[in-house]
Amino acid sequence: MHSYFAHLSPQHRRSWLLVVAYVAVLLTISLADFGANTAGQTMFRGVLLGMLIFLVASGLSLIFGLLDVLNFAQGAFLLIGAYVGYDVYLRVDGSADVRFLAAIISGVVFVALIGAIMEMGLIRPLYARPVFQLVLTFGLGAIFLDLVERYYGADPKQPLAPPSLLNSNFSLFGQSLSYYRLFIIVLGIVMMIGVFLLLNRTRIGIIIRAGVQDPEMVQALGINVWRVFTLVFVLGAGLAALGGIALIPYQGATLGMGNQFLILAIVVIVIGGMGSFEGTAIASIIVGLTRAVAEQLSLAHFNAPVLAETSVLLLMIAVLLVQPNGLFGRGE
Amino acid sequence: MVERFVFARIQRIPDSTLRGLAERLARLVLENWFFALVFVLLWRFPYIVADLSGSQVKPSRPTGDSAFWQSEMARALTLACLAMSYNLLFGFSGIVSFGHALFFGAGGYVTFILMGHYDAGLQHKALVLVLLVALGLALFSRLRARALVVVTLSGVLLALLLLPAEGAISFWQAAAVALLLSLIVSLTSGVVTLRVRGIYFAMFTLALAEVFWVLAKSGTFRSYTGAEDGLAFRSLLPPALNVTPTADGSRLTMYHWTVVFFAIIFLAIRRYMSSPVGRVMLAIRDNEERAQTIGYHTLFYKVLTMVFAGAIATLSGLLFMIWATDKIVHPDTLSLAYTVDPLLNTLIGGVGTLTGPVIATLGLHLGETYLRNETFTLGTRVFGLLAVWQIIALAIAGALVGVFRHSLTRLGERLIGAGPRTPRYERLMLAYRGGVFVTLAAVLLLIGGQLRGEAEAVYNVADLWDLFLGALFVVVVMVLPHGIVGTWNRLWATRRLRRLERQMRQEREAAGASKP
Amino acid sequence: MSTAPDNILEVENIHTFIGEFHILEGVSVSVPRGSITVLLGRNGAGKTTTLRSIIGLTPPRSGEIRFNGQPLRGRRPHAIARMGIGYVPEKRIIFRDLTVAQNLQIAERKKGDLAGKTDFIFGLFPDLKRLYHLPGGHLSGGQQQMLAVARALVADNDLLLIDEPSEGLAPVIIEQMMGAIRQLSARTTVLLVEQNFQVASHLAERYVIIEEGVSVHAGLMTDLVHDPELIKTTLGVA
Repeated sequence: MHSYFAHLSPQHRRSWLLVVAYVAVLLTISLADFGANTAGQTMFRGVLLGMLIFLVASGLSLIFGLLDVLNFAQGAFLLIGAYVGYDVYLRVDGSADVRFLAAIISGVVFVALIGAIMEMGLIRPLYARPVFQLVLTFGLGAIFLDLVERYYGADPKQPLAPPSLLNSNFSLFGQSLSYYRLFIIVLGIVMMIGVFLLLNRTRIGIIIRAGVQDPEMVQALGINVWRVFTLVFVLGAGLAALGGIALIPYQGATLGMGNQFLILAIVVIVIGGMGSFEGTAIASIIVGLTRAVAEQLSLAHFNAPVLAETSVLLLMIAVLLVQPNGLFGRGE
Repeated sequence: MVERFVFARIQRIPDSTLRGLAERLARLVLENWFFALVFVLLWRFPYIVADLSGSQVKPSRPTGDSAFWQSEMARALTLACLAMSYNLLFGFSGIVSFGHALFFGAGGYVTFILMGHYDAGLQHKALVLVLLVALGLALFSRLRARALVVVTLSGVLLALLLLPAEGAISFWQAAAVALLLSLIVSLTSGVVTLRVRGIYFAMFTLALAEVFWVLAKSGTFRSYTGAEDGLAFRSLLPPALNVTPTADGSRLTMYHWTVVFFAIIFLAIRRYMSSPVGRVMLAIRDNEERAQTIGYHTLFYKVLTMVFAGAIATLSGLLFMIWATDKIVHPDTLSLAYTVDPLLNTLIGGVGTLTGPVIATLGLHLGETYLRNETFTLGTRVFGLLAVWQIIALAIAGALVGVFRHSLTRLGERLIGAGPRTPRYERLMLAYRGGVFVTLAAVLLLIGGQLRGEAEAVYNVADLWDLFLGALFVVVVMVLPHGIVGTWNRLWATRRLRRLERQMRQEREAAGASKP
Repeated sequence: MSTAPDNILEVENIHTFIGEFHILEGVSVSVPRGSITVLLGRNGAGKTTTLRSIIGLTPPRSGEIRFNGQPLRGRRPHAIARMGIGYVPEKRIIFRDLTVAQNLQIAERKKGDLAGKTDFIFGLFPDLKRLYHLPGGHLSGGQQQMLAVARALVADNDLLLIDEPSEGLAPVIIEQMMGAIRQLSARTTVLLVEQNFQVASHLAERYVIIEEGVSVHAGLMTDLVHDPELIKTTLGVA
């Protein structure tokens, strides 16, 4: 970690300062406005939302970083994961725990499979035509949404009970919270650390990072870079599906959730800097916190919950203006 | 032959100025005979339908098929304008926007919200706010785009002048304000985001449009937008524009105005693209850096195009809503669906072709309308290609051709002989790829026929239409990147090139033979 | 024309296109085993594209390339590299975000490749030992070039393709680089692209001249050095 900060570029060092200052401002505002308990709850909600966004955004960021493909179907991956998981949960017999586990595994595997087929069959022939790649993933996202609607119907699905292990409550900031929420945060952190370790400590991670810079050169060293591309795409898709299933006990499954989280993930990537994993992780939490604080503020003062939706976009515009490459992005 | 006849006639005109004028007019019509013909056909369309279906065309209260197809054609024409404006961005300028629906939906929303809730003081405040935001953005932008500030300022001032200080606002004033707002929004967002990489722009536009969609749907502003139910505007529409079949407004006149609007947009885009500015846009699309090094301020041209496209989308959106049968501005007009629709039509018709988006939109929209109520049972061949398995088979065949593109090319080169990319090579390769695709699809279709089970489900064409469009989209992106018109143009160009080559070869040989 | 048995690489009349552009219009190169062969020619003549065609990054549309007697046609770059070809690209492309150690690790084709080669690599380029845990982006131009060459040495390669090793380097570093290439040529065959005729004439035993996408002359370096007329007309070097 020490060497990490030692090798930071001045721009990134400034970005770190900005991030710390911004979070401090958010904290101060909410402490001053809501009092300690509500502020704590708001922060907790923000981090929780941040972790959920991270699961979608990290896949988007990984895929973009290595493949230079902005996968607009990432929201659809979350959607499919959630719906398939939901379906499996209802169909499988057994205790809630078993069913939930089955939902996670089947949803993630199914979406990963779709991701693999999509990368090998549709994305790969288009690496020479990046604009068409962009358009293709965008169109596929719309098609997937249509298919899910056709198969599962347009009605929102009610939230399911979390696994019994996590179904009890604990008290924090004077509020009784489900352990499941804590579990999502832990899941997010584990995924963050896991992907970080994968990228920095393993041979495959080294190949991915090298491939981000120059896939041709990696190939010329005798590495089948296509297989690594597929792997990354599958990993990204699986993470999104995991996010989708994690959402089920929290807010159920709706057709809109895919695009909702896609937009948030896009905001995160723009803020964090495209292709930067650390940027994605940090920006996820920032966006989550911003959204939570804005929600709380508008609830308390404006009675217009929709303002929270726009707050995140305003943040993105602000970052775009100050730093067009995002906080931790590489220069052009 | 017609040409010779007409010009011989014109030569007999005694007055020289009149002769010159007639000559120019004749040349214009003759050179654009195809478009002129299409225009006349569109103009006469209600009468043609009436003749075919036995219904009647009347200025007001038309009956049966004629009335139905009149409004369908009008809607298709406005959607074609939307597709053309998208093509202006995507096809001619290489700008990928995923938020085009914002402009499409904004026309209706702004106009009718203004009309329904006109309050001079509030509007002025809002405009001052817009002005401040624009100013702030301009100052913040690293470009320090002074032009932006000037244009925004004058736009806002103009808007203020347009608004009556008290009393109600007319439809035309409100529409003009909507157009101005769309100009300002496209201008500011263009200047702010177009200078960054295209991918940022795509994401930014997507997020922006999505937010306005959420705002339009949210219950917070229900009194303004009608939230999920949409904004009903039947009472706000001036009688002249009311095209409800039972109303007394002149529906046929409105249809003709729509055709004229379409023609103007088409000609304007054609003119724009053949103007020097259009040439620069093509250069930017092909290689922005090179255009920059030649000395063009590429951002200016991109923003200009975006403003132009946004304005067209706004106007066609407004016209689209006027033709809506329920007279409601739905929040969906701001949704992804109305970005996907023009994108799809542009892709299928041919990216960067003038007629492609129009042909695709009219064909697909009218085709869907025509087939909407047809049903078919799985496995039977009502329309030959439209059963479910056929669609899937086409998609799989397309995907397979895509996956094995490289090995296919290698195999193809073994068949037709490798070598430089001569027109012959291109043509053979296209034929070969097409052949492989058709063969694969045919085999898959046969297999599907064999697999057909006993349980036969009845399907509605309307239900499967989106799926069909999706499959078509994937096939076009994978194997027909130039779309229908683009591929057609290429084939023609190749043919012309070959004829030219042959001619040159013959001339060379003739020259060589004449020498001792 | 029969293939001489001692040629490790045989490029026969290849035509390569980049997009619509016909870059190579008939290039033939024979590289005898154990030699250093240099591709000479003016800027844009197609030297780099020839190397890229061999490694498969811009596969030729026609013509044949044989490595150790086996045709490379239709193989993808990673498969070609695995047959035993190391590639050092122009502009010394190293992975800037990875450390020197990771830059070398990534070139391993089987476990222990690097462990067996470290002494040899550090012997050639002592600098790299000192910089071993620094990110590649922090290295100087010369050090990056060393790393790029070293990376190609990690796996057991029979042939090294080296593109412009002296480009943009200080004379002292060029000396060192030349020494290193001469040393490593004792182990592997080298096919070099070099603009600097001084460097090329001192290093290489054989030469091939490429002019506008066509290989026009080939032979022994000793003959070329004594033919100033040819040098002048084809290379523009006095």
